[in-house]
Amino acid sequence: MTNAEFPQVRIVPIRMLKPATAERLLNMLAGTAGIRRMMIHGPGLPKTVPYGPARGSPNPHSDRKAIRVADAEIALRVQVGTVILEVEDASVIEEIRSLCDDFFVEFPYLLQEGKFMKTSPTLVDYAKYGPDADTSLVGLTDPRNRESPVILRTEQ
Amino acid sequence: MAYKPQYGPGTSVVAENRRKQMNPGQKLEKVRSVTDEDIVLILGHRAPGSAYPTAHPPLAEQQEPNCPMRKLVKPTDGAKAGDRVRYIQFADSMFNAPSQPYQRTYTEMYRFRGIDPGTLSGRQIVECRERDLEKYAKDLIETEMFDPALVGIRGATVHGHSLRLAEDGMMFDMLQRNVLGEDGIVKYVKNQIGEPLDRAVAVGKPMDEKWLKAHTTIFHSLVGTAYRDDTEYIEYIQRIHSLRTKYGFMPKEE
Repeated sequence: MTNAEFPQVRIVPIRMLKPATAERLLNMLAGTAGIRRMMIHGPGLPKTVPYGPARGSPNPHSDRKAIRVADAEIALRVQVGTVILEVEDASVIEEIRSLCDDFFVEFPYLLQEGKFMKTSPTLVDYAKYGPDADTSLVGLTDPRNRESPVILRTEQ
Repeated sequence: MAYKPQYGPGTSVVAENRRKQMNPGQKLEKVRSVTDEDIVLILGHRAPGSAYPTAHPPLAEQQEPNCPMRKLVKPTDGAKAGDRVRYIQFADSMFNAPSQPYQRTYTEMYRFRGIDPGTLSGRQIVECRERDLEKYAKDLIETEMFDPALVGIRGATVHGHSLRLAEDGMMFDMLQRNVLGEDGIVKYVKNQIGEPLDRAVAVGKPMDEKWLKAHTTIFHSLVGTAYRDDTEYIEYIQRIHSLRTKYGFMPKEE
């Protein structure tokens, strides 16, 4: 959940990222000190066709695959549209900005500052995680989904 | 003097393209060629080469009531044969796609017969007799109303028209029906409802940015022609808006 002490930023590339580019971007961010939490956001790529006459049949999609970030494997379930970050302090934002300026050369991007993560647990969070949920993990994953957040251990 | 439709207002290239698509007297430029079998595969309503399933016996075998309207209106080929009613649906990106839902409906109403279009914000469906549908679909795909990257043939799960494009310039498709190959050619690997095809159907190379900007029918202030730059269009819309608003008060034009 959002802690007012820590600033948040959102990286919005003007094009939605392919898994390979997302992997490079996330690895670059994972190597940066001072990022507390990170969230990948974008339109979903379901495993089966969700509706229509072909509902329930498998949905092969080349962008739904596992990427490797630092020491962890992340199974992408979305096409990466934005990356939301919570950082330790404002100096980290400037570092991220300079890294992203070098990273996005083929198309532009926006770095927006604001509040992008949940500020309090919702009813669904309460039903799923109970009253004693770890607030630092609430809002990082879809509570309706069984997946838990991935913890990255970087050598720092 | 005979009435000549104007099709639409505006002085911009977008307005000109809209009029061009709507005007049945203007031949649309053929940009790519797709075989009849390919169309049948993408539509997914029947197996290629199979007979058209029918909804009723051919009109020639039926006892038609003595009706002046039926004498006046000639049935289309599909109606004559008693074909089923089937559909094609398009999703058009807002990033300079060559046609748009409302535009498609206007165009089809001017150009085709025996159709029932349905217009929504991000997608447009047209229903008609199967035989006619295949003919119309071919026109819609082969001419300048289609772009392999920015227009999707999507029967269901159409989300994507308002999203940012992917890195390779393709419009987002949750079901990835069309894929941009290494050779730069877009191929349909699933039919319009998302069932995998036995073989990929090539629909040509995506058009370049310059072509799209010159052939689009949507205003977009960031990537194309801004609406506010077309003063004639603005004036027209403001007039309609004002008259609609005043309608309840019995407006009289000065």
